[in-house]
Amino acid sequence: MRRIGHLVLAASAASAVLPAASVDFGREVQPLLSDRCFACHGPDEAQRQAGLRLDLRDAAVTPSGSGRLPITPGNPDASELLRRVESADPTIRMPPAYMGHSPLDPSEVAILQRWIEQGAEYSTHWAFRSPERPVTPEVSVSSWPRQPLDAFLLARLDAEGLKPSPEVPPATWLRRVALDLSGLPPTPQEIEAFEEAVELHGEAAFESVVDQLLALPRYGERMAMDWLDVARYADTHGFNNDSERSMWRWRDWVIAAFNRNLPYDQFIVEQLAGDLLPRPTVDQRIATGFNRNHVINSEGGIIDEEYRVEYVADRVRTVGMAWLGLTFECARCHDHKFDPISQKDYYRLFAFFDNVPELGEAGRVANAVPMIPAPTLEQREAIAGLRDQAEMLEQGLLKRVARWEPTKGSIAALVVPEYPANADYFVGCEDAESEGIAGMACGSLEIDPVEAIALEKHGAFTLGLWIKAEAGLDDEPLFSAIDYSPDRASSQHGQGIELRVVNGEVELRMSQRFPSYSVTVRSRGAGLVPGEWHHLAAVYEGSSGKDSMRTQAAWVRLFVNGREHATRVLHDDLHSPAKFRKPYRIGHDNHPEGRRFEGRIDEVAVWTRALTQAELHQTFEAVALPWAKSRAGSRPERLWLYSALHPDEELEGVRNELFAQERGVPSTMVMQEMAGRRQTHLLMRGRYDSPGEPVEPGVPEDLLGPWPADAPKDRLGLARWLTQGRHPTTTRVVVNRFWQQVFGFGLVKTSGDFGLQGEAPSHPELLDWLAVDFAESGWNVKRLLRSIVLSSTYRQDSAVGPELRDRDPENRLLARGPRLRLPAETIRDQALALAGLLSDRVGGPSVRPYQPEDLYEGIVVGATYPGTTWVQSEGEDLYRRSLYTFWKRTLPHPAMTVFDAPDREFCTVQRSTTNTPLQALTLMNDPTFVEAARNLAERVLRESSPERPQRISLLFKLATGRPPAPAELSVLSESFEQLRESFVGAEAEANALLEVGASAPDAGIDPGELAAYAALANLILNLDEVITKG
Amino acid sequence: MQEPPRFLSRRDLLVRSGYGLGAIGLHALGASESPSNGGFPNFAPKAKRVIFLFQSGGPSHVDLFDPKPVLTERFGEDIPESVFRGQRVTGMVAHQARFQVMPSRYSFDRHGESGVSLSELLPHTAGIVDEICLIRSVHTEAINHDPAITFFQTGSQLPGRPSMGSWIDYGLGSLNQNLPAFVVLHSVASEGPGGQGLLARLWGAGFLPSRHQGVQFRSTGDPVLYLSDPPGMTRDRRRAVLDGAAALNNLHFQRVGDPEIETRIEQYEMAYRMQASVPELMDVATEPESIYEMYGPDSRKPGTFAANCLLARRLAERDVRFIQLYHRGWDHHGDIPKRLPVSARDTDQPSAALVRDLKQRGLLEDTLVIWGGEFGRTPYAQGDPKLEKYGRDHHGRCFSIWMAGAGIKPGHIHGATDEYGFNVADDGVSVYDVQATILHLLGIDHEKLVYRFQGRRFRLTDTEGHLIRNILA
Repeated sequence: MRRIGHLVLAASAASAVLPAASVDFGREVQPLLSDRCFACHGPDEAQRQAGLRLDLRDAAVTPSGSGRLPITPGNPDASELLRRVESADPTIRMPPAYMGHSPLDPSEVAILQRWIEQGAEYSTHWAFRSPERPVTPEVSVSSWPRQPLDAFLLARLDAEGLKPSPEVPPATWLRRVALDLSGLPPTPQEIEAFEEAVELHGEAAFESVVDQLLALPRYGERMAMDWLDVARYADTHGFNNDSERSMWRWRDWVIAAFNRNLPYDQFIVEQLAGDLLPRPTVDQRIATGFNRNHVINSEGGIIDEEYRVEYVADRVRTVGMAWLGLTFECARCHDHKFDPISQKDYYRLFAFFDNVPELGEAGRVANAVPMIPAPTLEQREAIAGLRDQAEMLEQGLLKRVARWEPTKGSIAALVVPEYPANADYFVGCEDAESEGIAGMACGSLEIDPVEAIALEKHGAFTLGLWIKAEAGLDDEPLFSAIDYSPDRASSQHGQGIELRVVNGEVELRMSQRFPSYSVTVRSRGAGLVPGEWHHLAAVYEGSSGKDSMRTQAAWVRLFVNGREHATRVLHDDLHSPAKFRKPYRIGHDNHPEGRRFEGRIDEVAVWTRALTQAELHQTFEAVALPWAKSRAGSRPERLWLYSALHPDEELEGVRNELFAQERGVPSTMVMQEMAGRRQTHLLMRGRYDSPGEPVEPGVPEDLLGPWPADAPKDRLGLARWLTQGRHPTTTRVVVNRFWQQVFGFGLVKTSGDFGLQGEAPSHPELLDWLAVDFAESGWNVKRLLRSIVLSSTYRQDSAVGPELRDRDPENRLLARGPRLRLPAETIRDQALALAGLLSDRVGGPSVRPYQPEDLYEGIVVGATYPGTTWVQSEGEDLYRRSLYTFWKRTLPHPAMTVFDAPDREFCTVQRSTTNTPLQALTLMNDPTFVEAARNLAERVLRESSPERPQRISLLFKLATGRPPAPAELSVLSESFEQLRESFVGAEAEANALLEVGASAPDAGIDPGELAAYAALANLILNLDEVITKG
Repeated sequence: MQEPPRFLSRRDLLVRSGYGLGAIGLHALGASESPSNGGFPNFAPKAKRVIFLFQSGGPSHVDLFDPKPVLTERFGEDIPESVFRGQRVTGMVAHQARFQVMPSRYSFDRHGESGVSLSELLPHTAGIVDEICLIRSVHTEAINHDPAITFFQTGSQLPGRPSMGSWIDYGLGSLNQNLPAFVVLHSVASEGPGGQGLLARLWGAGFLPSRHQGVQFRSTGDPVLYLSDPPGMTRDRRRAVLDGAAALNNLHFQRVGDPEIETRIEQYEMAYRMQASVPELMDVATEPESIYEMYGPDSRKPGTFAANCLLARRLAERDVRFIQLYHRGWDHHGDIPKRLPVSARDTDQPSAALVRDLKQRGLLEDTLVIWGGEFGRTPYAQGDPKLEKYGRDHHGRCFSIWMAGAGIKPGHIHGATDEYGFNVADDGVSVYDVQATILHLLGIDHEKLVYRFQGRRFRLTDTEGHLIRNILA
């Protein structure tokens, strides 16, 4: 017990500077006051007890509510604070036990006492002061530091009376750095080449290999891994429906951003406000998906505003943790209890993210608005090419039409196709008075037929009509079979199908509850104008023959004058087929502020199937050509006639290819500002239904620095404020997290909390030096990592003796190199790489590697939403890097979570590292690792010279990066011999083992021999050293 | 209590003590035989283990546990405003013009010596009323499944907090050497595999180290994920592999001195033991006929609630600390007459059998059994109020759960609702109170089980929770 106590004290001594004669308020006093007192006697005015406030000196040295003086500077005996913390009487003693506190221990009381004796001076919390570049300290061994950062670490070791550990052999360093920068181990060839290069070129070899690693596409994937946790990236929406979403284009952006070494301030700006940059690129808009990666709830019957508010709150929390390094979310319901952040400050930050045209209940089966088409580079190129081609052909056509001299004979000879007589429902307007394109046309009209339009189960239909507007075409209903009744709570509200014209474009709405559960598709570039007849049609293919019952925008086709048109998807989140709702309104809707179409509508027809392009064209020409024949000189009739006489198949072919390409473009959710600003209110107790005073967007400038003079009060301004050079927390938080990625913990261990309750930095000067240097280098991430991995600190051996282990069990002082279990993703990626199975394809949609069957049974929602089944991928997709594994939030892949991956329901800046029997079972038996072991064995049998010791050594070396020591080789040989003998005469068992996984075993190798090597490889892949960066 | 260091690494312990848990950390380090056992239990526990029979979807209290004759008298009338009192309603019924009183079509009778009144749908539970304590006055803020179930299981409507089982594992550690301390079982209802989606966070560790998360025991495939050796990997070969790995890990430990390696060696041994102990546990073939009769015919069918209740008893016998069952399908928005009897039949007999079985083995006295869902259902109809076919929406203002076993007053009713079964009338019990009481029975002062994360001290019961003294024996 005594010994253990000593150990703990040593551990805490390791994280604080040696006690000095004069008490350091920031390091010694403030953490005590904050942790034990501020919850009731701190910044939170509403919760403040006894009128006592201890976070401000002025308040603490004046009499409190009780009339007593909490602190009398210079006189501990006259300080109520000290009397209360020292008291043996539990009714007097502070802090009270019910707060979950134990009494202050004597050493803590002594600190307070000495501080009061010395005058009870306060100072600003370190993280709220802008970092200054400190002078690099003098050290005991001037030859040891290779990088400036080394001097800071060695100076601390000097002060502690410790010495750095010796340098590791080059091969060990290479494995360490390769795992850190690429997430994959080096090959034996790379190790050999590096060892030779070190012999020849010394230090230059180290630098060169780091530069090579930083230039690999693997680097971006490795860096993205950690950022996906912070950004709570997932492939599903979360909550109990937890259906699939599509955000992988954002993940692609992250990988690319790291690979091209996008300056980190830009990395922040584009993710926070890419859409607000001048003339934003598609990529910059994709980047804003960072703030849409949060969970989205589609549980039927939730209150919309309740969840919309949660999404905004999630953004505040994430930005707070990721870049501000503050637990801003603690000020949602009341003033922050520890940090000087008021509830109003919270809602001012909240206001920046409150202005998104989004919905609370959304994401039932697909992405939630706002979203954009996010074509890949290949798609962009293909589409641009096709567009150019189509435009060229269109121009040619128009030129030919202009030159065309129609003859009476040719027009007379033009055969008018018959109108497809099989429209299932038809509104002819016989009683109407106004002249149409074919007989009489309707004005605004309401039809309440006895027989409703009945669609098949799969929901396919075609809806066509002619219009001639007198004016407008801004936003008017044409055929409205949807319920927009003012009772928004009605279960039928927003249900139905509608064809509208919006800004001169035709728009189809199919909806279960407009706008949240709807498919809304609008034409692009149709250019409808008043005064002309246009034929408009929408075709919905329906889900027949598809693998899903949901309604999808990709199955909508829009036609103008018989030709298919390019489209834009506005909403695409509808789980069931839509239906036409009675009554049917022509030229108007039942919206309380509904618009009325001014003009004529003719030939309204509905088919309960999807018409083909040819049929639609025929539908158009059956009416258009007789009309055009008598108007051959006018436009657009001239074009109609010319096209009927000279069909341009090449143009149609190109257009069809273009539309097919466009339909294949993935969508991604993005940030977007609403047209008018939503007024944000402070929410009392954080509740969506208790708005308090209105607040405007803003930041705590007194605390964290002034707003840049010319910055707009929007997300872009916020990004500029965050990334201004002297922002006190941003650069510190960012460099700290990169440090954590390499060493397992940050210089500030609480990497998401730099506030008063966070841990003080172990090396404050180093943190500031790195932060300032990072900003001055242009926020250059590769440069920062390069300096870390080339440092002497990083090159130390990670072996530890009992003395140092007791002195610094967590290795906070870094008197030895980092030794850390690999992250979940890297454990699998490494196994696949060693086996030669790993795919090197970068980016793309998520994949579904092996996962136990029936994992979802009895757990996932009982509905056929996408993302509720796991259909195993095939071929290369079984072996992609783990950051591409489909991430289902409510039930992530077990091989990820068992190795401490978070579920990504919210921002996580630090994973725990545990050591459990379930991890052992996974590495022993997960088919991924069993298959990898066999492939690794095959590789060894292929690549090694045939002697057994050589083979065994190579197997070990591949996995650990070093040859086995003699004692190790003898254990390995003994195990192998045992396994080999056991497979003699057990061919069926051997084959069974070899057949695990989708890859075929090498038939040219004796199964018993191969099985023995595979089992040995299984043993090696389970070694602590293999799953550890040492 | 023998508590070997299986689910815990020494580094974690040091980390934990570094996190300022004070007494816990020190005690934990001091007593190597009980590493995670610091100040806990804070006092002598009544319960060594917990079996939580969670009924996901929201069982209807007015059709099962809480008879309300007034509903029959006022059938079809509007719920008076004085009762409704601005209750938040879900979007499912927000459009309804009226909230009409909907009686239960099921009769209630008094049972046992205690005379507790229960619905005819629960004949077997009726047989154990003298063992259970029925709480009719539980209430929750949440009105939707995800937040409500998350609240019940983690103390917060929003994701991110550790589940109850994780807290308990964190505080008390394991009782055995061959099985995890926190086991989760899911059942498939006879109505079908549908139901509200459950979430790994319900048995997740939240911000606690992830080793405290619950371990799912499955009825198909490997009972524990990746438990079985691959085909061709016999026990002898597995042993040879593990012996070799242990020897090499040991050699490496000699060189690098990292205690994590020693922990890993122990974890592999635990894994190897689990490969034997879990199948033994799951192998119910040895159970006598009388047991199957007791739990009902479904108990022979893996994956049913009945089969899981039987497994729960076997887990309890093996001193698994926290056994969490989930049964889905209680979300009866419509057609209660058709669907409720199915859910009741799935769960009634096995739940009662579990209590009886524990009792006959002397396990009930130190096992706490809890039966309940995330909320109740509205005393008004969702849709048309027709006795032959009616539905009810979610209702959080009051609902019923029962508890039995260790330290619980048997044959007792706690709390009461108003005449409509709409609001709590007496002795309201918050979900936090239930959680505080569960911890109390395990010997934990719910205000002392804290974990510091992001600068804040978190508790299962947040800043709330009162022990429900009147239900204690």
